[in-house]
Formats: sequence, structure tokens, C-alpha cells
Amino acid sequence: MPKSDSRTVNWLRITSCGLEDCINKVVEGSRFLERRTSMPRGRGLGFAVSSYLSGAGTAIYWNDMPHSEVQLKLDRNGGVALLCGAIDIGQGSDHILAAIVAEVLGLRLEDIQLTTADTDLTPIDLGSYSSRVTFMAGNAAKSAAEKVRERLFDVTAKALDCQVDELVARDRRIYRRQRPNDGMSFAQAVQLAESGDGVVTGNGSYTPPKLAGPYKGSGVGPSPAYSYSAAVVEVDVDIKTGEVRVPEVWIGHDIGRSINPMLVIGQVEGSVYMALGEALMEEQTFRLGVHKFPSLLEYKSPTALETPVMHTYLIETIDREGPFGAKEAGQGPLLPVIPAVANAIYNAVGVRIDEIPITPDKVLKAMNDKGKRVGPKAVPPFEFPPLINADVPEEWKGK
Amino acid sequence: MAVSNPGAMFIAGGTDLVPNLKRRQFDVTTLISLAGLPESRRIDGDPASGMTIGAGATLDELAHHRALAGAHRALAQACGLVSTPQIRYMGTLGGNLLVDPRCNYYNQTYSWRKAVGFCLKKDGDICLVARSSPRCWAVSSSDSAPVALALMAEVTLKGVQGERRIPAASLYKDDGIDYTTKRPDEIITAIDLPRATGKMTSAYWKLRRRPAFDFPILGVAVAISWDNGSVREVRGALGAVGSHPVDITPLLEPLIGKRTDDALIAEVADAADKPARPLDNTDLSHYWRKRMTRVYIERTIRDAVGLDPTAGRLSAQVKGSRT
Repeated sequence: MPKSDSRTVNWLRITSCGLEDCINKVVEGSRFLERRTSMPRGRGLGFAVSSYLSGAGTAIYWNDMPHSEVQLKLDRNGGVALLCGAIDIGQGSDHILAAIVAEVLGLRLEDIQLTTADTDLTPIDLGSYSSRVTFMAGNAAKSAAEKVRERLFDVTAKALDCQVDELVARDRRIYRRQRPNDGMSFAQAVQLAESGDGVVTGNGSYTPPKLAGPYKGSGVGPSPAYSYSAAVVEVDVDIKTGEVRVPEVWIGHDIGRSINPMLVIGQVEGSVYMALGEALMEEQTFRLGVHKFPSLLEYKSPTALETPVMHTYLIETIDREGPFGAKEAGQGPLLPVIPAVANAIYNAVGVRIDEIPITPDKVLKAMNDKGKRVGPKAVPPFEFPPLINADVPEEWKGK
Repeated sequence: MAVSNPGAMFIAGGTDLVPNLKRRQFDVTTLISLAGLPESRRIDGDPASGMTIGAGATLDELAHHRALAGAHRALAQACGLVSTPQIRYMGTLGGNLLVDPRCNYYNQTYSWRKAVGFCLKKDGDICLVARSSPRCWAVSSSDSAPVALALMAEVTLKGVQGERRIPAASLYKDDGIDYTTKRPDEIITAIDLPRATGKMTSAYWKLRRRPAFDFPILGVAVAISWDNGSVREVRGALGAVGSHPVDITPLLEPLIGKRTDDALIAEVADAADKPARPLDNTDLSHYWRKRMTRVYIERTIRDAVGLDPTAGRLSAQVKGSRT
């Protein structure tokens, strides 16, 4: 089990790991240990775990510039204009940016006006891929908001004749923590700062730390933080047709901190749904040189009716690198579901399907196969380049 | 209108026609709506006296109709298993009986069909499923068609030459293109279900990838008339295993005169899948679809005789686990 604040043998830096809690939650929730051995033939439970990166540590654009950037501009009414290149593709990243800035400045969500993904106006963000937006754009937003807050605290402390570290920003006000009546509205603080040094703006950016190990190829894999997931999947296999139904799924996800639990649960459930499509139906295959399933009519994925009951457990580990401790939820929770489906089928009917999609004809074929297996018989032949010797981290020496 | 506009097509629910128009499978200059026809949506009678169903009755109405809860339940089951609720609200029984046979080389966009090379059924001159075949192997994909055969339904057609009433089986031809005996100027006006003499039961089972919605890749309809607990008459038909609904009544004859039990049903089902010759032109593997035929015949017969459908010898499934 990876430990928080450790390195893996290939030098990946682990800042936080809640995998053990994820496992305990799904195993308890599904009563995996007792039910796995007591279900009738045709029904089964499968278990799997996974880890995923919160954004690639190495940028797809090979340069030293930041991966995410955020600009803030405050107006005299206490509103904040936020500009960021990150695009919300439905995952809710707009909300996360606004929530982080509102939290730092003690404002409400409606005080933050977003302009995102407009290349005329917004600073660079590398994009919505690699499960990176909350983590990287979130860190950039937090940094920008903290800079703005510093300037507001400076002028407020001077006006209140107190120290900067006595101040807090809450409820659209900036005031002394010990004497809450001693303060001013956020808008007044902005006006004060603007009267002094002009328009109040703040920039923040995020560049992941350089984490690659001392060997060739180590640039693939490093991430500033890793999420962890565990899943238990229940299947119902029709032993005469090989059809697989999934009535229930339990999934635990180490999110670091869930800035908005509803969004995180939505991301996790969406991952489960997509994983089931991948495990059981979706297939990229060609016939006569064209895609065999060119439209959603033939390229089947589950509908609401095929989507199981899901139990989602969010585990918080408060990652030291993530914004307020947050890690990713975009892709990681998909990963354990597919092997858990395959394991559940093995538990239900004793066959191993080693390729996806797991279609009913494959299940039936495996049940009649002597080796009880369907799929590739071996790893495709490949000539590996000569091995390179690499040093291991201190904690692995001698192991 | 149909006569004076060659190539015109009739439109009722349009749920099959419109997507096909979009993909340029039909070249039509004129669509003639059937929506205003009097009595087209009537559902009259009951099992004891026989039923007359207007061709424009929607699949949803039929799926929930009280008069179809008993002897003719297979028809309600079939209508209720067609596609999604939205489609069932629009789609009609007449339209479902005449669903354009489907093939996954044919039900594609124009550009896809052009890329792969046009097929016999539209714009081309070879069958892409069976290249040496002189005929089209598009699949009869109607859920109601095999039920119409099993229930001995009669179809009333009306055209410029008058009205005629034919057995449902005579509505179909074993060809993926020229699949119906209905003439272009004719429309189906009504479907008659003969009266059930004595006790009668029926069932329809549909195989498809997703329970939510998909076209059938196998359909099995069975209707049984009873005499003091013994089978007096049994009829059955398969859907989606060829270009027309396939009558399997002769293969079910060993049930006649007997009281049904697990062993007998399994034995009959085991032999009744012979006419099913699925080809590789629908969803999932055709070997598997062929294999599923006997399993689904057994489940359908068991459903029709009131036994637990999935508990049979060919289809022993874990109890109570199907959703």
C-alpha cells in the first residue's frame, strides 16, 4: 500500500494516499467478504483498485512555462472578474474556480464573474484533459486570490491600525479575527486599495514541480498528486445466454478534498457509467475498411435503465500539493470498474474474459472452453530495447 | 395520390420512415399522411369474440390495452418491447408490421454506405453480407410480425383495386428488399385477431443487447390453445432470423395433445431452432444469435404455459435474478 509522503520504486512522489480507506468502504458497503463466497451461480462480486494522476507533471508543450494561469480583476462594488483559459466541458471546473476564489476572499459565488477559454481574453491553460483542471487551474486561482487578498489586507490593516495576520476575509467583509466588529466591507477595502495604487488585480499560475526520476523515460508518470479508487461490482450473469447485467456498484474515491461533493459524486458516477460501457459494450472495430459501428445506433453504451445503483464513498486525505487539498475526479474512478466487472464474472461463473468488451458470446464461449478463458493467449511479441540501470529512491535501497 | 405520385410513401408514426429518409435510404418526393383516416386507431372486441385493431393504433396503446392482457398477451408484450416510450407513443401497429428490413450495411448514413460501397438494397449491385448472393438478406426487424403469425392475425389491405383480407403470413416475402406483398398503392387498414376458442395463452420474447431499447436480434412468439390442461393447438414464429418472420408451427407439433412439462418443452425447443439462419448483419455475433434461438424458444413456451421462463432445462437461470 503506498504511504503518504513517500516515493514509489520508479520515483513517483506520493503526497497522499487514501486507498486503504477506499478499500475498507467498498468492502464493508458491499459485504464483499461474506457475500463473495455465498452467492448462487450466476451472481458474483468483483473487486479492483486503481490510481490516477492529477494532471501530468510533464506538459504536452515542451517548455518551462506554467500549465495554468488565472487573472483576477476586482471592481469597486466588490465584484471579482476571473479570467482563465480552462474550459468547463461539463465536469464543473467553472464552479471550482469560482468556489476557490470566493473561499479565499470571503465572497459568495455570485460575486465572481467568469470568463473562461476565450483565447482573446484569457491567459493560458493547457486544457481539460489529463484530470488536471481542478488541481492546476485551481491552484492558479488560489494563488491569484491570495495575492489580491494580501494587497487588500495591507490597506485594511493600515486603516484599522492592526497587524495583517489579525485579519480574516469572510461574509463579504474584512475584519479582525478577535474583534469582528472592527473591519470594513470587502467593497470598501477594494476602494481603499484602488484609491492608493490603482486598479486591483492579481495573477496566479501553477507549474508542477519537476519530479521525474533519474532515468530515461521517467518523464511519463510523474504528477503532483495521485488519486486512488477502489470498486466492488456485482454482476448477474445469465448462464445460458452469457448476458451480463450489473445491478449494483460500490466505489470509493480518494479525492483529497471534495470542494463540491455533488460535483465529485457526479464525476465518480459518470466514470462508473462510462466504465460499464467500456467493459460490456463499446468496441472500435473495422469491417471493409470502415468503422463497423459508426453511429450511436450501433455503438452501444448503457442507457439509464442499464445503469446500476451506485454507492459512492468520498475519502478525503487533504493533499498538501492540491488546492485546499483537492485531487482529481475526472478519470481515476473509471479505472477499477472494468477489472472489477471481469473479476465479478469470474466469481459468478468461473470464467476469465481477457479482453473488452465482455459480450455475451464471449462469456458463453469461455464457459464451454476447457481453459475457461477467452481473449488474447499471450502478450504480442515485442523486442525490448536493452535494459537501463537506474537508481532507486533512498527508501527502496536494499529491498 | 399514391398512384399519381410514383415513389410516394405513406407515413403514419414515421418512426421508421423518417430516420431512413434522413440517411437517404428512401428517395421520396411525396409523403402521404395516414393520420386523418377514420377508425384507424380503433381497438375493438375482446378475445372471446375476436378483435379488430386499426393499423394506426399506437404501440403504446396496445402495450397497455386491457383486452390484450389475456389470450393475446404476446401482442401487448411485443408492442411494449419496441424501442423507447417516445417511439411507442408515435409508432403504429401497421407501421411496425411493415418495418423496413434492417441490415448493418444498409441502415447507415449515405456517406458511410458510399465509403463501403453501396449494397443491393440501395444504390448498389451486390449484397455485402453474402457477396455471392443474388438476393438481399436484410433482417425482418418487426416485433409484432412474428406475433401476428402466431396469433393467426389477418391483415386488411385497401388500395385502388379495392379491399382484401389476407393471413398475416401472406403479407411477407422472404426477401430483404421486396419484403411485402402489399402493393405500393395499398395501406393496411386493420388487423384482425381471430376469436380464442376455449383457453388460449401466448407470449413473446425478444433478444437484444440492452433491455432499454434496441431492435430485435431474435424474436420468438408462441400461442397455445388448451383443452383441459393439454395443448390443443400451438403456433409459433421467429423474428429477426431472416428476411421474413419464420413460421415454426410444424416444429412445435410434438406439444399437441400433451400436458407440458420441463422435459417436453426443452426437447421441443431443442429441435425448433432449425429454420433460424442468422447472418452477420445485426448487432452481436450471428453464431451466438443462432445458439440463443433454442434458449429463447424454450423461455417463450414456458412463459406461454405459465412456467417460470428462465428455469427450464436449456435456460436454467438463477432464480429471481433477472431484472
